[in-house]
Amino acid sequence: MSIVVSGGKRGLTDPKIAAVILAAIPDQPLETQRKMNYFMTPRGKRINEYETLCCYTQPTPDWIPGGLDWGDWTQKFHGGRPSWSNESTEMHSSDWHKHRDPAFRWHALYVKDKAEEWRYTDRFLKAYSADGHVRSIDPIWRDEVLGDYLGAFGFSEYGLFNSHSSATRDCLGDTLRMSIAMIGLDKVDNAQMIQAERTFLAKLVPSFNESTDVPKKEWTEGSIYKGARETVEEIWQGTYDWNEILFSGHMIYDPLFGQFVRREFFLRLSAYYGDNLTPFFINQMQLYHSQTKGITKDMFHTCLAVDENFGDYNVSLMNMWSDKWLPRTVNALKDFMGIFAKIPTIAGVTDKAAVEAALGRVFEDWKRDYADPIGYKVDTAALIKTVLSGLK
Amino acid sequence: MAISLATKAATDSLEINRAPVSVGAQEVHKWLQSFTWDFDKNRTKYSTKYKMANDTKEQFKLIAKEYARMESVKDERQFGSLQDVLTRVDAANRVHPKWNESMKVISNFLEVGEYNAIAATGMLWDSATAPEQKNGYLGQVLDEIRHTNQCGYINYYFAKQGQDAAGHNDARRTRAIGPLWKGMKRVFSDGFISGDAVECSINLQLVGEACFTNPLIVAVTEWASANGDEMTPTVFLSIETDELRHMANGYQTVVSIANDEAASKYLNTDLNNAFWTQQKYFTPVLGMMFEYGSHFKVEPWVKTWNRWVYEDWGGIWIGRLGKYGVESPASLRDAKKDAYWAHHDLFMIAYALWPTGFFRLTLPTAEEAEWYEANYPGWYDMYGKVYEEWRARGCEDPNSGFLPLQWFIENNHPIYIDRVSQVPFCPSYSKGASTLRVLEFNGKKHSFSDQWGERMWLSEPERYECQNIFEQYEGRELSEVIAEGHGVRSDGFTLIAQPHTSKDGRLWTLDDIKKIGCVFADPLKSL
Repeated sequence: MSIVVSGGKRGLTDPKIAAVILAAIPDQPLETQRKMNYFMTPRGKRINEYETLCCYTQPTPDWIPGGLDWGDWTQKFHGGRPSWSNESTEMHSSDWHKHRDPAFRWHALYVKDKAEEWRYTDRFLKAYSADGHVRSIDPIWRDEVLGDYLGAFGFSEYGLFNSHSSATRDCLGDTLRMSIAMIGLDKVDNAQMIQAERTFLAKLVPSFNESTDVPKKEWTEGSIYKGARETVEEIWQGTYDWNEILFSGHMIYDPLFGQFVRREFFLRLSAYYGDNLTPFFINQMQLYHSQTKGITKDMFHTCLAVDENFGDYNVSLMNMWSDKWLPRTVNALKDFMGIFAKIPTIAGVTDKAAVEAALGRVFEDWKRDYADPIGYKVDTAALIKTVLSGLK
Repeated sequence: MAISLATKAATDSLEINRAPVSVGAQEVHKWLQSFTWDFDKNRTKYSTKYKMANDTKEQFKLIAKEYARMESVKDERQFGSLQDVLTRVDAANRVHPKWNESMKVISNFLEVGEYNAIAATGMLWDSATAPEQKNGYLGQVLDEIRHTNQCGYINYYFAKQGQDAAGHNDARRTRAIGPLWKGMKRVFSDGFISGDAVECSINLQLVGEACFTNPLIVAVTEWASANGDEMTPTVFLSIETDELRHMANGYQTVVSIANDEAASKYLNTDLNNAFWTQQKYFTPVLGMMFEYGSHFKVEPWVKTWNRWVYEDWGGIWIGRLGKYGVESPASLRDAKKDAYWAHHDLFMIAYALWPTGFFRLTLPTAEEAEWYEANYPGWYDMYGKVYEEWRARGCEDPNSGFLPLQWFIENNHPIYIDRVSQVPFCPSYSKGASTLRVLEFNGKKHSFSDQWGERMWLSEPERYECQNIFEQYEGRELSEVIAEGHGVRSDGFTLIAQPHTSKDGRLWTLDDIKKIGCVFADPLKSL
């Protein structure tokens, strides 16, 4: 038969074409090894689908540890800087392909989760509005705290989101690159959820101002987020080392400042002010925080801190970076204490003892999960005292 | 606590209307442009000679969750087809063997392009100042992860269920051995990520995606389907649904710099360089994969190329950008010549170097030779006769001791590698436009095959220092190189690459190659 196929005929369904194809196919498969990436070392007992689809997609040469390619880059930056290079970070690794998302999420699994969250958000908001819950929110909490200060916190999330752009570009491994992009998307999702909540409130409460003008003014000119803003700006644009960007954002700033603001301020207090809307959104953010925590702890603790050749050096560097970023974060929290003067006081909830207890939870969590694994010595009581000095 | 006027208003409105209310993606997106703020250090980490405007908008206004919903729906359809009906009909074992081999290359090499595009669009996300423009690039970052996984899924599927898993199962390790790899890295990897950020956008979005995506991702599905492969159309057409947004990103990149003075000075030069960079590899490689990697033919590559590259892209797409001062690349005319013969030239070299591949290649059959001659008059005299000679000397038989590479050596037709594109060429036996140019710099010789690449190198030689395969392997015996690059099957001695796809043909082993005693030499050393 003719070898020219026209009229959209398909080899699978056209009997004549199919017969030719089947006649050409070997009687037995030519290869018995059917496992893709069979040569790699899996994190668990077997290579899973995430590892199959993601690992060794990075085409780096072997002089970048873990790379399977050879030679130089075929085109470099103007002036001759390499496409990717070991000099892009002070951290050292014996294998930049070692990292794994603990949830083994490749793209399809990641978007499936988020798509479900979006559909459920839509259903929740419809039920919330139809039920008239909005009537119970304290007006100061609603108009000033959610309107202005939650709105302003969206800029912190948006700034952190942007800190992932250069890390997505510069990092040296495939699973790293995918994880970084995904945790970056979660941050802009947080910022967008904050705006979604404010837009939703504006639909239910006629005078509620959904504009970002006042929150932006608060973020850029106000005193409550001054330290946070300066820290975020430095993480986003003042830092070039992609590992330092991730470490400062996800191992220092967000587990302390982000956790206090989200969990101990908005999430904990909202119920006291009749607000059962904000927890819906913040809980999604906390889920992302938890997933990100798994990812970044894998990067820094499971991979870099115990690297067979560079573990000790990497731990020293993480300690140095902690020295650099912890004071800024403490200062950001200290500035944030000013917010308690803006809300109606509830005894045992927003007074100094309650705030101190909340700070204790955040700092002790951070010490246990982030500082102790790298042997970073920290006096949490002293740090809390410094933060509390900002309480007016 | 006294009830506020606002609460009262909310309460009153609820009494009138208790209809469920939600928030749509567009209601959130409309605020996106205000999410950023000015501060001293707010500048990109990747320099560009252009200035992107602060108020650039994006065409596809997605937020994170809506993006996820959209992609998730597409994934359900795609993976549902693959894992359900296509598996039940044993579709992977109903693909023509020649096409099974082509997909080892096409899917893996496209995966490299998609993977590098993650980094490329990460760079653009950093470079853009407008939040909407950043958002457009961000969506593409996630898309490129999707596409990387999807391309991997093709090889994964073929490895798990198909007729010859070798090459599908380890392409990420063995792909670096052969002559097609470095050129692929230039267009699909470094060309996207190393350079002026806007120049990279032009390479990726304005040329790679808006121009070559159509033949690469759309036309390939017709060839796949004709040859029994329904997996590739299922995946690649799903990829293509995202590409429109990427083309829009490229369009918006140009819009964002349209009023910048630098655009009038540099944009057309950057576009010309990007077009030549991309076409120099894609034109011959895609033509080769389609025509020589298939049994059933859809249409001559030159026609596909003319439709998608010359008319659709060079005419319509670039025409739309004309109002921003964009002109069709000056090198388009030379590329048109390449579209006719360059893939025939490249196949000849690729076949000559077949042991370094991670796939099986097949010489044209008699009926294919007729098709080539009918569509490319003069083909037989130049190529067909040589293939007959190779076949007569037993190039497919491991006992013959004959590698087609020997024919090039015996007939004094040295094969060079173009320093800039890394594409191999044989100036003394070629119907394409390649001509040998050799320049010396810092005590090292560099070969070039065309004026456009040579110009790029003359302007910035420090960007193109990469060793080619002949320099890398010089003095080394071929079977050693293959073994070191893991070019063998799971038995440890049969080559993944083979010079035929015949079900009855014998398979070559490392010993068969070793007996020949083929040692690599750098042709530039003898000049």
